[in-house]
Amino acid sequence: MFPGVDGFHWSFGHVLFLGLFFAITLTICGTVVRAIWSSVRDFRTRRASAICWDLEFAELPDEERRCRHELAGRVAERTCPNGFDCRNCSEYEKFACLKAVAPGGTFGLDYPAGRLYHRGHTWVEAQSDGTWTIGLDDLADHLIGMPDKVDLPKPGETIDANGTAWRVRKGRNEMRVRAPMDGTVVETGGPETGWYLRVRPDGMPNLRHLLRGPEVSAWLSRELERLQIQLGTAGAGPSLADGGILMKGLIDAMPEADWDDALAATFLES
Amino acid sequence: MASVAVPDRQWIARGVERTSASRFATLLAPWFLLLAFGLYSAYLCLRYGLNQTNMDNRFPFGLWIFLDLAIIALGAGAFFTGFLVYILKMKELKPVLNTAVVVGFICYSGAVGILGIDVGQPLRSWFTFWHPNTHSMLTEVCFCITCYLVVLLLEYIPVLLRNRQLRRVPSFLIFEHRFHMLVPVLAGVGTLLSFFHQGSLGGLYGVLRGRPFAFREGFAIWPSTFFLFILSAIAAGPSFLLLISSLVEKITARRLVDTAVLRRLGFISGILTAVYVVAKSVDTLEWLNVTSPALGFAPWEHYAYKPFGTWLMLAEIVLFGLVPAGMLLHPKTASRRGWLIAGAGLVCCGILLNRFTMTIQTLALPTLAFDEFLSYVPSWQEVASFGAVIAYGVIVYSVSYRYLPLFPREKKEVNHVSGR
Repeated sequence: MFPGVDGFHWSFGHVLFLGLFFAITLTICGTVVRAIWSSVRDFRTRRASAICWDLEFAELPDEERRCRHELAGRVAERTCPNGFDCRNCSEYEKFACLKAVAPGGTFGLDYPAGRLYHRGHTWVEAQSDGTWTIGLDDLADHLIGMPDKVDLPKPGETIDANGTAWRVRKGRNEMRVRAPMDGTVVETGGPETGWYLRVRPDGMPNLRHLLRGPEVSAWLSRELERLQIQLGTAGAGPSLADGGILMKGLIDAMPEADWDDALAATFLES
Repeated sequence: MASVAVPDRQWIARGVERTSASRFATLLAPWFLLLAFGLYSAYLCLRYGLNQTNMDNRFPFGLWIFLDLAIIALGAGAFFTGFLVYILKMKELKPVLNTAVVVGFICYSGAVGILGIDVGQPLRSWFTFWHPNTHSMLTEVCFCITCYLVVLLLEYIPVLLRNRQLRRVPSFLIFEHRFHMLVPVLAGVGTLLSFFHQGSLGGLYGVLRGRPFAFREGFAIWPSTFFLFILSAIAAGPSFLLLISSLVEKITARRLVDTAVLRRLGFISGILTAVYVVAKSVDTLEWLNVTSPALGFAPWEHYAYKPFGTWLMLAEIVLFGLVPAGMLLHPKTASRRGWLIAGAGLVCCGILLNRFTMTIQTLALPTLAFDEFLSYVPSWQEVASFGAVIAYGVIVYSVSYRYLPLFPREKKEVNHVSGR
């Protein structure tokens, strides 16, 4: 195989054969090294979260990628092409100026108007000291109830919009809660404090991608409808008797339901 | 708090339905038993040597080599589909790419495993690389198959990393993404390697001057069998993929691949089978009229011993060549799934028959005046090792199908049906 090793000859055929073999081996190794190097670079340049989200978003079913403007009734049908990131949407202005025709109300859930909401069921609220608090919205809170375990990032760590902000375990289900905005964690809370993270953004944050106003109730309405279908008896559609207000700790109350699918859709997991 | 094991359901892609873990384990249990029995047989062969088989110095190639040649040819669907999708940009074949990679990986790893038993002394396998005999077709086969198995393993990794739980690990997801972007490079390398080792496996027989049934003239250093093996492998690969996809559809009672994709596979296989039949016919005529007589053998002598009559040659060219090519190419038959599957099945049978005659008939026929016709029946150890490869394939494919997104259409279909 190498000069000096028994069997090696400086003949044209031998050198050509082994040259080809080494070229192929180098190409294969080079491909792997290149992929590893690119991956490491993505993490170093903080692009990893965005790439992960793009890949996961592409795997979401069409029905879970509806544009906020469709939810708000501004457009009849539109699938989001931007990973729910309206900050990069060239058509945002075109639709945002139209009047929302969505139903009002929050179906007995608490969605304060001063907060902005992420499609992964988190909210953000500005604080007077320039920081922002982040929490789980009331629907997610009602589903999970009191979590068994919460893994929060440590103060000083950074979170990226649509990346994983924290993890929650309830029974056999582990949920990744998506960050609604970029920032550095300055304080952590928990289920008992009503908020989970306090973050300081780099400069003035652009939160155009978060839901607000009438969009919230339209989105909520669809989310409740989805849950009703996913958690209901197979083959049975929603009926009048299914009305009422969502109870707290639904996971505990309905242990036999298909929570795997319902929670994945709630927390935007592909 | 103690970590909680992730339930089996959460390893399965969201939105697709699979049988329960216990039923899945029950269904695979017989295959695990067969695998265990085969591994025991392999142990006997490695421990006590090839006296455990019915091969000898006169009949050194048997069931195992036939199996190797057959599954390597059938596994050609992996490299050829990769070549069509990434190099020729036939994006319509993307829905079967993942399953092609898994099937290819199973075929090649199974072949290498059985070669390890056949050649023996697996701990000394590095000798082949360290002291290569560059004049041997087998050296080329050995280098190419090893490299290509590495390529298939690397191509399998992104499919593996698309498992639902593994995707939750950001570094895996990023690596899968970055690696997937470079897969065309591997597809190109895989094509080059496959081209040469498929050819060299054929060339191996073509250079056997002492075996007039197999010996062929050719081009430069390559006998005609070098090119025929490549052609037949790329003809059978898409057919085998079509067959596997249809079989999985039948077993799971789900529509996993669009008929248009199967038709495309059938069409490609049909065209290549037709070209192969023409090339094989020309080669056979040349061999019967020129090559064999030049070696002192009248053509009829090769077919004088039962059961290896001329019917085998005719079956290979007509029944398993012309007929399926027509079935896969004719618009009327190609538009029906049943005919497509039957056509693909016949093409695959043709490749099995070809590899069988090249291996077994070549060695069974007498070549010297004092030589006699030999029959060979594999020992139970050979059969059990063969069975282990089949069991290994079934297990790996079943586990892959259960936990990995082999058919993108399936998820879309389930989401659509459930109204999500």
